[in-house]
Amino acid sequence: MLANPVIEKELKTKMRGWKSPALISAYLCFLGFIVLLFYLSSRESARYSADYFNPRVALELYNSIAMLQFFLLLFITPAMTAAAISGERERQTLDLVLCTNLSSSSIVTGKIVVSIAHVLLLVTASLPILATVFLYGGIRITDLLLLFGFYLLMALFMGSLGIFCSTLFKKSAVSMIVTYITIFCLISGTPILLAIWHVFIMHNQNAPTLYDAMSFMFSNPVFGFSSLFEGMSRGNMILEIFSMRTYGMPQTTGNFMIKPWMANMAFNLVASVIFILLAAWKINPVKRGLFIRKTEAQKANQLKNQAV
Amino acid sequence: MLVVDNLVKSYGKFKAVDGLSLDIGEGHIYGFVGANGAGKTTTMKIIAGLLKPTSGKVMVDGTDISENPKAVKRKIGYMPDFFGVYDDLKVTEYMDFYSGVYGIPKPERKKIADQLLELVNLSDKKDSYVDSLSRGMKQRLCLARSLIHNPKLLVLDEPASGLDPRARVEMKEILKELRNMGKTILISSHILPELAELCTSIGIIERGKMVISGTVDEIMRRISHGKTLRVKILGDMEPAVRFLKEQPIISRISAASEFIDADFDGDSDVLADILKNLIKNDIRVVSFTELEKNLESVFMHLTIGGVQNAG
Repeated sequence: MLANPVIEKELKTKMRGWKSPALISAYLCFLGFIVLLFYLSSRESARYSADYFNPRVALELYNSIAMLQFFLLLFITPAMTAAAISGERERQTLDLVLCTNLSSSSIVTGKIVVSIAHVLLLVTASLPILATVFLYGGIRITDLLLLFGFYLLMALFMGSLGIFCSTLFKKSAVSMIVTYITIFCLISGTPILLAIWHVFIMHNQNAPTLYDAMSFMFSNPVFGFSSLFEGMSRGNMILEIFSMRTYGMPQTTGNFMIKPWMANMAFNLVASVIFILLAAWKINPVKRGLFIRKTEAQKANQLKNQAV
Repeated sequence: MLVVDNLVKSYGKFKAVDGLSLDIGEGHIYGFVGANGAGKTTTMKIIAGLLKPTSGKVMVDGTDISENPKAVKRKIGYMPDFFGVYDDLKVTEYMDFYSGVYGIPKPERKKIADQLLELVNLSDKKDSYVDSLSRGMKQRLCLARSLIHNPKLLVLDEPASGLDPRARVEMKEILKELRNMGKTILISSHILPELAELCTSIGIIERGKMVISGTVDEIMRRISHGKTLRVKILGDMEPAVRFLKEQPIISRISAASEFIDADFDGDSDVLADILKNLIKNDIRVVSFTELEKNLESVFMHLTIGGVQNAG
């Protein structure tokens, strides 16, 4: 991966200086402070109850920190990639890279990997803080790994969406706004669509079932994320709003027993690949079109090569 | 080395490049001259693989750029007219990044960067941040960057634009050094005299069309239909003006306070006869010179309505 010179250069410049260590330190201090407050308040409430050691506290803490990091990824990753290509264009450095032998896909993947790495560094650095919940029990290590995997794919999706927008628009500000609008539509638009379907279409006999109608909800990152916490999200308002239970659904999606987080992770992966390919195609200065049609000269050349 | 055949680049109805053709041999330096917006940058971007032509062909060292852009990019070093630099990157890191981009193995990168930085006189700035360099230094660094993969053809878009006179001279010296190294160079400028002493050939472009192309002498010969004679007289100029008007080879006379300029068509023998007769007529001649045709005036002559004549 480090063979990609874009990654090497970006990592070097992004991690140089005091900004990155300061950001990580500030973030960890903030998280540590929250955790400390949680434990202190639980100790305070334990004075008035018979159970001094309450595993429920750990669960609530885990949910809260996981959610905090989820929204951090949701808002920071697009900000880091939505200006990646448009920023190069604005700085007039894009042409210097495009006229070299570096493929446009290497440029795009390099930019995404560095942006995601930067955000995931924050998440990884916070894992020891999150791991304090193991002192109380109730959370398995597989839960933590699954959460990290979910973050990774979501960051990939947000990053690739941002970079695709940055290839579409010349100005970074426009690219950033469009990226955030798209994310907003994904989060709040899908429940609205489901509500519209519920009110106007559901009563029609030929209408698709609720299971089928809900399938577009799987593109909603909050919906997928909430399903990771089924059974342990009681009391957490945001997680409850996007819970399957809220929609009167069992905690799987229809006949295939696929949980929403699985569907959401699959959606994130597929959509990311599509966005990366489209972004790479978009910045290629001599693109031929999505469906390559060979010119007469190329056909003649190919025939000549075959003959040889 | 570089063959451009009937190149066209259209943006809707507007043709930025309109049927442009040129042929540059190996080791030649070709000056591409034209006013701002004439189509120089568009042509150079197409050659560098940064723009797709509407039609036409670009061949570099026998390889068609539309057929094999990667192979062509390996042979070209491109320096754009406007370019930016990365913040937080030192000169050596900047060179290392572009070495990596061209797939140069790590152990060789430092040696190549040192050689190139020495060529462009930036050895003492290798640990400086790129952003802190002056405009002239950045131009030279960009030139070093374009040479990093040892390309056969250099495409330099106005490399001396925005530089102070000293930096321009330094840039010119580096280009001469590259010429001595045997590089083929396509260099653009909107100032013709800037290129004249450097280039083996020159092409003048106007509104996307090649108006004239050839060696500097060839171009001068082709456009120098009329010559100008400048005579300085001591005392009353009236008899001299009258005498010159009577000469059949002189077409137009303009007399200023000190000089008489006369357009004529003829060779040195005729000029010698005129001088002899002026002196015979007791006209006190201080100086008698044929004016050198100025490259700037040639450029102006060719680019004002030149397209229509050439087309």
